[in-house]
Amino acid sequence: MSEPTVRAAGLAAAIAYAFLIGWAYARQPQTMAQVTGGLVAEIGAYRADPQAFDDGLRFFRSDRFEEARAAFARADPAERDARTQFYLAYTYLRQGWGRVYHDDALYARGLERVNLAIALAPSGRLVVDDATLGLRSADELKAELEAGMRREASDLNPLRVFRQRP
Amino acid sequence: MTVAREAFTLPLLLLSVALLGGLRVGDRVDLVPPSLFSLVLAMVLAGALVRSGALAPDRLMHATRGALANLNGLTVLAALLGASAQALALVTPDWGLPRIAASTFLLVLLLNTHAASPDRVRLLRSLLVIFGAAFVLKFVVLAALSDPVQGRLGRALQILLEGVTLGSLTQPVHRAVTGYVAFFTMVLYLVALALLPHAGRRDDAPGALEARGARHPRDPGHEDLTRHEARGPRNDW
Repeated sequence: MSEPTVRAAGLAAAIAYAFLIGWAYARQPQTMAQVTGGLVAEIGAYRADPQAFDDGLRFFRSDRFEEARAAFARADPAERDARTQFYLAYTYLRQGWGRVYHDDALYARGLERVNLAIALAPSGRLVVDDATLGLRSADELKAELEAGMRREASDLNPLRVFRQRP
Repeated sequence: MTVAREAFTLPLLLLSVALLGGLRVGDRVDLVPPSLFSLVLAMVLAGALVRSGALAPDRLMHATRGALANLNGLTVLAALLGASAQALALVTPDWGLPRIAASTFLLVLLLNTHAASPDRVRLLRSLLVIFGAAFVLKFVVLAALSDPVQGRLGRALQILLEGVTLGSLTQPVHRAVTGYVAFFTMVLYLVALALLPHAGRRDDAPGALEARGARHPRDPGHEDLTRHEARGPRNDW
């Protein structure tokens, strides 16, 4: 192999490796799935697994939230699909929602997910076309989760018990 | 130095050090970028490497080399700086009094090494001792002091120590794998330093003596120089 070829190949390898390192430091992946999925997403080739997503949606609509989360996590192991992350956040909202009180721990996890969904969505705008949802945009979902975690005088309003689950 | 070493081995070794040097495995996996202070230390270390001849920058970047060769050299130099910063950050305690003390000692040791102008072999030995001692301090001594202990007596002693030092001694606890990866990273870094193109080998090249401004063997005074060198290495330490 000629010297210029070796030099050019070495330079390309070093630049690619340096890009990978910079990406890893910026994204802080926690699993190998996040590493591979994240790199594939960088070139726009990442897709959530449609079969697992449909499973998750079915569980979600039948209020089996733990199962739904497992299926959604399988559908988007790299956590790079905004729509799947939106539904994951919604599972926490619905599971934590109560007529008298909300589960703050579940809401906090839901807020993490919806923030991730917003970060992943193009220009931060995410609208899901699903008639079964009371909140169809990530902004609405985020506002609902944040409101649920706040302590306000309206929490004592007895009419809260007539609220509809979002 | 072979082309493959300059184009592949050194950049990949040094970049691996830059990657692994920031790895901290606790409840989650964190990649910690180097602190500003470790960047400053890395610059001092780079100066010491050049001064001792352990790194000959003109063998990596020079007007007589081609553009591609200079780009390879630039890659090695940039990777060396990043790897040095991460290696120094790796052996510096995470916070508190030990961090301040270790940072100060590292700075003083590196400045002292720079001022002493040791030759390449002595510098590499010196760095082995510096990094080795800092590694033991952080990953053996401080890790043992900070590790949650089992048993009432051990716990009582740890609480006593925290009380005496106002909690400034204990460090964040990482999993054992962090120490093993750190050890491997330090070995990689020291191997990479030993593989750097150094000044000593340059003398073999034709015309190298003139290029470095050294006296020609026929020049008056060369004999004195040779006799001086024949006495053996200077004892700089």
